[in-house]
Amino acid sequence: MSGGYRQQPGGAGKVTRKDGKRVAGKQAFPPPGSGGSNPTMAPRDLDFIPEMVGGKEAQPAGAHVHDRARTGTSVGKPTALVDSNAKVTGQAWYGDDVRLANEVIGKILRSPHHYAKIKSIDTSKVEALPGVLAVATGADSPHQFGVLPVTKDEHAMAVEKVRHVGDLVACVAAVDEATAMEALNLFEVEYEVLEPVFDPKKGLEDADEPIHWRGKYHLARTNVQKRVFQEFGDRSLVETPLASSHGKWNMAGVHHGFTEPHAVVAHWDPNGRLQLYTPQQVPHYTHRALATVLDVPMHQINVIRTFVGGGFGGKSDPFPHEMCAAILARKSGRPVRITFDREEVYWINRGRHPSHIEVKMTADEEARISGFDIDALIDGGGFASFGHVTSYYNGVLATAPYELGSFHYTGARVWTNKPASGAMRGHGAVNTRCAVEVGLDEMSEQMKVDPIDLRLANLLPPHSRTISGFRITSNGMREALEKVREGSDWDSKFRQMPLGKGIGIGCGFFISGSGLPIHWDPNRFPHATVHMQVDMDGGVTVHTGAADIGQGSTTAVAQVVSEVLALPLEMIHVRSHESDTSPVDLGSYSSRVTFMNANAAIRAALEIREQLLNAAWEILGYHPNNLVLNDRRIYYKHDPAIGVSYLKALHKAQEDKGALIASGAYRSPPMGGVHKGAAAGLAPAYSFSAYVAEVDVDVETGMIKCTNVWAAHDCGKALNPLAVKGQIIGSCHMGLGQVLSEKMVYGRTGHLQNPNLLEYKIPSVHEMPHVEPIIIESCDPEGPFGAKEAGEGPLLPILPAVVNAVYDAIGIRLRDLPLTPDVVFKGIEKGMKAAGVDDPLDLTSPRVEHGALQPLLVKRAAEHKVRDRARQRSEDTDPYVNGVLFGFDPNLPLEDQVEGWRTATEPDPEQLAELGLAGKAWLKKEQRHMGGDE
Amino acid sequence: MVGTEHVEMIPVAKKEIWSAEVNGRAVEVLAPSNAVLLDVLRDKVGTLGVKRGCDLGTCGCCTVMIDGTPRLSCLCLAGQVEGSTILTVEGLADGAHLAPIQSCFAEHGGSQCGFCTPGFLVTAQALLNENDSPTDQEVACAIEGNLCRCTGYQQIVDSIQAAAAIHRGEAEPAAPASNPHPDPHPSGPEEPQMPPGHAR
Amino acid sequence: MLMPPFTLHHPTTVDEACELAAKLMAAGEGFDWVAGGTDLVPNYKWHINTKPHVISLAKIQGTDTISSNELGCMVRLADLTEENGVHSVVVQAASKVASSLVRTNATLGGNLCLDTRCFWYNQGEDWRRSIDWCHKADCGTGADCRVIPNQNTLCVATYQGDIAPTLMVLGASVHLIGPNGARTLPIDSFYQLDGMKKNVLEEGEFLLKITLPEDANKRIGSYQKLRVRDSWDFPEAGVAASWIEGDPTSLVVATTALESIPRTHPEEVASVLEAGWDGNASVKALSTAVQKSVKPVNNTALPPRYRRSMVRVLTKRAVQGLLE
Repeated sequence: MSGGYRQQPGGAGKVTRKDGKRVAGKQAFPPPGSGGSNPTMAPRDLDFIPEMVGGKEAQPAGAHVHDRARTGTSVGKPTALVDSNAKVTGQAWYGDDVRLANEVIGKILRSPHHYAKIKSIDTSKVEALPGVLAVATGADSPHQFGVLPVTKDEHAMAVEKVRHVGDLVACVAAVDEATAMEALNLFEVEYEVLEPVFDPKKGLEDADEPIHWRGKYHLARTNVQKRVFQEFGDRSLVETPLASSHGKWNMAGVHHGFTEPHAVVAHWDPNGRLQLYTPQQVPHYTHRALATVLDVPMHQINVIRTFVGGGFGGKSDPFPHEMCAAILARKSGRPVRITFDREEVYWINRGRHPSHIEVKMTADEEARISGFDIDALIDGGGFASFGHVTSYYNGVLATAPYELGSFHYTGARVWTNKPASGAMRGHGAVNTRCAVEVGLDEMSEQMKVDPIDLRLANLLPPHSRTISGFRITSNGMREALEKVREGSDWDSKFRQMPLGKGIGIGCGFFISGSGLPIHWDPNRFPHATVHMQVDMDGGVTVHTGAADIGQGSTTAVAQVVSEVLALPLEMIHVRSHESDTSPVDLGSYSSRVTFMNANAAIRAALEIREQLLNAAWEILGYHPNNLVLNDRRIYYKHDPAIGVSYLKALHKAQEDKGALIASGAYRSPPMGGVHKGAAAGLAPAYSFSAYVAEVDVDVETGMIKCTNVWAAHDCGKALNPLAVKGQIIGSCHMGLGQVLSEKMVYGRTGHLQNPNLLEYKIPSVHEMPHVEPIIIESCDPEGPFGAKEAGEGPLLPILPAVVNAVYDAIGIRLRDLPLTPDVVFKGIEKGMKAAGVDDPLDLTSPRVEHGALQPLLVKRAAEHKVRDRARQRSEDTDPYVNGVLFGFDPNLPLEDQVEGWRTATEPDPEQLAELGLAGKAWLKKEQRHMGGDE
Repeated sequence: MVGTEHVEMIPVAKKEIWSAEVNGRAVEVLAPSNAVLLDVLRDKVGTLGVKRGCDLGTCGCCTVMIDGTPRLSCLCLAGQVEGSTILTVEGLADGAHLAPIQSCFAEHGGSQCGFCTPGFLVTAQALLNENDSPTDQEVACAIEGNLCRCTGYQQIVDSIQAAAAIHRGEAEPAAPASNPHPDPHPSGPEEPQMPPGHAR
Repeated sequence: MLMPPFTLHHPTTVDEACELAAKLMAAGEGFDWVAGGTDLVPNYKWHINTKPHVISLAKIQGTDTISSNELGCMVRLADLTEENGVHSVVVQAASKVASSLVRTNATLGGNLCLDTRCFWYNQGEDWRRSIDWCHKADCGTGADCRVIPNQNTLCVATYQGDIAPTLMVLGASVHLIGPNGARTLPIDSFYQLDGMKKNVLEEGEFLLKITLPEDANKRIGSYQKLRVRDSWDFPEAGVAASWIEGDPTSLVVATTALESIPRTHPEEVASVLEAGWDGNASVKALSTAVQKSVKPVNNTALPPRYRRSMVRVLTKRAVQGLLE
């Protein structure tokens, strides 16, 4: 390449001056192998440098605080995952690929009963079997653990009771798999079978033997694990609705369906430290739980995260089998490997909660949404897991993106004798979101308006506050809706296609990182920390605990460091596997990794950059304000010839202190309301999305084929568009599975009938529609280079979009998910009866004629568009709280201006009679209020 | 739970010498008579790139080429394919040079968590060996036995089509996407047109 | 998932296989045949009805013949394509079996002799222990049927093969061989009502090949499969139909995945023909008649009521496919 600046020797370089200041052309440099592989400096890539700092990258959403750190090196460019070569060569090492010398095989004895007391376990025959090296039961692990500190209700193995079929009872380590399996058959366990509970509705009632006992906080004798009540706003607004929707939903539980089954290897090294290899999304919580269960200080445990073959929330709890492996390894003195069969994967579960959701909503005469009334009864299975949080998320994550007159939520999570539900992609938000978006579709039909216009005229603007007190910052909802409307040719399709063809809209709203970390309070540790080290070779080693589960978090961290330091990606080495070397990180959940880790990494990189610039200042004599970083070189911004190589600056900076070290951290700012549960759903930023789906419904068979999806997602700024698109399309796939075919089938006996990938129906390539991913960049002020999450939010809109599209196709509202063909066919049969036709082909699909409200909505949406743009670009910085649309003054506390405005976390006594299904939990009293002595 | 209500696991089946050509290398291992190919490859031959996902023939993570045909190693009795030529994901690359299908999966987002990737690569390579200009529908039919939970398949199809173009000689292996645009002049933010070496 | 111990045998000729079978029978040792393994291996991994010996047919010479009127038992489903001269209705069904990867392993013989399926049965050992077993794989406990309790005589597991109904409508014959010699019978009589016994194979016998009558090539056929996903899934219902073009009296309809055996529906066809063939009206009458004649039970992914309703639609589409 001519005209560039050589970064490595090889040509007739001529040093013209000795003061090091004005050296043009080729220079003498350290040995090859340093400073990247290309000897020539690449030109600055202005297309990827924001216009605010002199580049050509458009910034419709305004400037960002990180703009000055942009060098045009890697942010915003489609980038292959930095670990992809390991993956495509088969060298990526997952849980079961860790094979240590002298390893033995661990197997787990599982409960054959739904619910039973363990009266005795006789292990003598097991121990007598030749080849058995260690046996453990609940007696070896008396300490409880759980992912949430408030609900530690798990043991490594059942201590007193087994709570579902497949619950862990004992474990054994043997020289090979056959011996271990044979050993399982030699345990003699005496059970006293108890009456199981499967129906979550039954879980609300008092039981002889509740599945867990919470002492004075236990709710009567029920199986309710958590109940939530939240009410905001003016409930009198809902009394005179123009339109209303009332939907009762029944949503089956779904599983993450990651391809890699759980596997763990535990090894106590010669120094007596535990080395635990596990495919974990959240290694830190496993680390904590291990310390508790094993009675070993945390610093004597090294948790090594292997490559993770898919997580989606399903590998984010500390798991009992991890404890079992550690216990067996300690007893046997040998490394122990435990790998699950697929059936065991379903038994440990932690998938999305089976839910009964009831949503009532109303709109007033101006087509404003005057109230949401949500009731969610969720089936938690045998353990708490993340359920405490899920119970809140099912309600509070519906408080945006729309401006609401009032919001009322009752939720309850009950224990049942099934595998435990937990966190899964779109945690807690997915089911309610589906119900809400379908309700809006129904109301728009009643009001004779277009559902997209109804949404556009009721959006919260950027930089506003939701009814429950969430701080909305950047908000690309409007643009997302506009893009999918245009892309899908919505206006010429909606309610205009023939029977069997339909189109539908759905929106989504999700947290980008949880505002309050699970384990930190009251200690104010940072949410994420990144350590960085640059030694004389020029390579940058980044230590982070962020767990790459395939979403590309390692790549994102490498990218931002590469961007700030203007170094090619191959010079950035991210070490994130071991807890010994990585700073504490809370792991990959709640879509926090890119937001928090990349922010921490930027801070660390900026610190390194400052040291490099100061060194260059010393060499070149130009103040860092006038220096530019570009591709392994620092130079005077008015004359690129005056510069110094990165490596030379680095060596200068290292003169007095050796390797450059920096540490960066991120903690979300204090925010949110003060009511009970105000922290649930709080996030430093929120993502928004809007999808349009097109479906073909075979009206004779009820088969739905989703053909096209236009998927717009506001991820703030796409650090890696390739990965963002991958997340959007992948989310569509997972969401389509939930809406069309996936379901944990519990038969009449309460057994999980389909614990395998043949009968648990994840869509194949043939079921995938063409997805058009549309990236919306709203440039979040707090996100790294403006980025927000893209991993979970994109899942939400696909469910309602499909359900609404099915209605558009056949005119039947279905509220039992998944919409398997038999469910659809049953709906069609009902529709035929109602329409009085014999042949489903004689059904008619719905049509719409816009009413008087439509122009009003269009006008309001246009006005709001102007408002939103000014707010997005900080041209309008007035406060905006939910309620302004209803005429409230954002500068006055709402309680002061609206009679009847309420913020409540417990029902009034007179409300008790009207509560929904889950709300019935509020009819019960906690033990401490019952006057009992328990 | 003790009694006759289970199938005895020991004594284990008689071991026999099992030989085959795996990734161009003749291997000979001692394996039980009832061994499944997947277990032999992972536990005896050491090709850990062959993944066990469902173990029952649905996920396709264990796909290997047996005499040129992609087959599920988890459903294949090792004894039935003794003496055959087996290609696993480890055998796709030519030394340090990735096969086009491998680099395309990396460049086009065909691999996220990577667990299903070895199976997809082998299936896709088998398709490309037969047909270097498949339609999207033909690609879909070829990979219908592989389950991916991350990508939604779309970028996998893109990756396979990109590799097909290389096989046809229509495209070079993609340059790293992080290369900047070809403006020959490095320049400062305020004066983007400043030629190199221009003194102030 | 480790399979219980067994010895795998590799006879290379039919005679050798029969001798081996006779020897094991004489010694009182149980054994199974295996072809591609896609049906047997999952069941063995689940520890379902395992035997100490398994005889592989893979290396027997001459069992993979493909021609328009003969198909060997070891023909891989992936090879059942029109390019090999196979009848198009068989190709239609074969190309819908499971997934492309399963089809490279799976064989015609294996598909025809597919074990019947039931979600109380096709489960791991621990799982079946949790329901206290079922009588198709009772581990010596004498357990009851879990689909229709309180009866311990009949197994209602469902036969979910795709190819059998297409061979039925073409009038194929199956050729069985064993230590007691060879026999040939029409494929209709190969299957027996019970989900446990499934077919007429005697101990030691295996399905060697199928042959098609001369007029099979004159027939046009159609196969309709009901499944949730277009890959992997076994049929939830399947209907095949064929006729010699323009000759309603030659119409044959067969169903699968609805009961423990696939079967043809001669009475239903006859009753419609009796009323005189009247194009679409007859198709409608026939579809309703076939629907009424099948009795699916609740042991597959979709509920039986729905599957039964769909038989009407599938039959209609299959027969209409012939009219076009």
